[in-house]
Amino acid sequence: MSDLEDAELVEQVARGSEKAFLLLYDRYASRVHALSLRTLNDPMLAEEATQDTFLKLWSRAQLFSSERGSLLVWLLTIARRVALDRLRLEARRPSLSDSNDPADVWPNIPDENTLSEENRWRSLYFAVQSLSVEHRQVIELAYYQGLSQSEIAETLGWPLGTVKTRLRAAMEQLRREWSR
Amino acid sequence: MPSNKHTPFLENIPAYALGALDAGQVAALESHLETCASCRGELAAYRALSEDLLMAIPPKTPPASMRRQLQSKLPSSHRLSSRRMGWSLGQSALVFALGVLLLLNVVSLLQMRSFQQQQAQLSHQLQSEQTALALLSYPGIRTIPINANGITGTLLLDDDRNAVALFAWNLPQLPANQTYQAWLIDSQEERVSLGVFRSDPTLPFTSFSIISSNKIANFVGIGVTVEPSGGSSQPTGPRLFRVGF
Repeated sequence: MSDLEDAELVEQVARGSEKAFLLLYDRYASRVHALSLRTLNDPMLAEEATQDTFLKLWSRAQLFSSERGSLLVWLLTIARRVALDRLRLEARRPSLSDSNDPADVWPNIPDENTLSEENRWRSLYFAVQSLSVEHRQVIELAYYQGLSQSEIAETLGWPLGTVKTRLRAAMEQLRREWSR
Repeated sequence: MPSNKHTPFLENIPAYALGALDAGQVAALESHLETCASCRGELAAYRALSEDLLMAIPPKTPPASMRRQLQSKLPSSHRLSSRRMGWSLGQSALVFALGVLLLLNVVSLLQMRSFQQQQAQLSHQLQSEQTALALLSYPGIRTIPINANGITGTLLLDDDRNAVALFAWNLPQLPANQTYQAWLIDSQEERVSLGVFRSDPTLPFTSFSIISSNKIANFVGIGVTVEPSGGSSQPTGPRLFRVGF
């Protein structure tokens, strides 16, 4: 059963298979939890958000369509919404991730045995990390903290035009780096 | 579309793809996207990038306990656990009531069985005493005293009807797994079982009567031994007494 594709497992989850659900949890919990933790910056809240995300997988599995994208993207999209909703509920001030945190690095720099798909995400991670601090901050606050450009300007004390320019420049750079 | 009108929307697309465009600008951009294939292409590229950003975070393994907690929160687990152990108050009361009824039934059944056993014993006792009384009134009856090992009593023999009645005093009470067994003894010291009996704890004497299928006149005596419950084919236990005819 562990060899089954995501789509097959999701179908089984939709039919009430707890075993298939736990297999998907084992497969993706670390990714969902990482995103929740990055957004909420609080271990307890992140655990709750991770659980809520997987409970939505359990209750909404029949809505997933593999033709519209991968299960991981679907799950992470749910996880982001769940975490952002919780962030707004808690009315907490956004916090920037500490890129110097030794725990906040991708384990093991790419090696031959790692899946090529994971290498791709590692590369994007390094592309984000290679942005200037200002560019990385606007991406972090916009995407992982769910702030609008005006809210980012207010949070960082920058002019709105500066935020717009930096956000656009950061996205263009990532797109260039990523599409190479 | 002229480039000077196209450019402002194009600049907003990265922020829109990230969900960071201010609400006041969203409607205008969405209206433009409906008519501009070029901007829709740009948006698709930035949306793909924003989706990829979801995965550009190093994985973090959650605590092991989270898996168990999550499992316990699954609605199916709730249903299963409810079926296993989480009965409602009404269901619990019903089960309790059924349990009490079952217990009362078992107790009643045991009491009834005990009463039936007592009734059978009393009936047997009555029949035995009536037989003994009938024997006493019969002209040809033989009366033989019993006096051995501290046990006294009377043995009544009716040779014509091969009837035997035994009255014994001071017979000790036997444990449940033992019984008294009476034997007819012939001249060769061979024993033939007459039957088993127990002493009645509510009476000071014990009576036992029986119509034998053997001709009593062919025997020379009667003995009583202690045997395992249900009796034996030949004497195996200690002899209580023996009476010669």
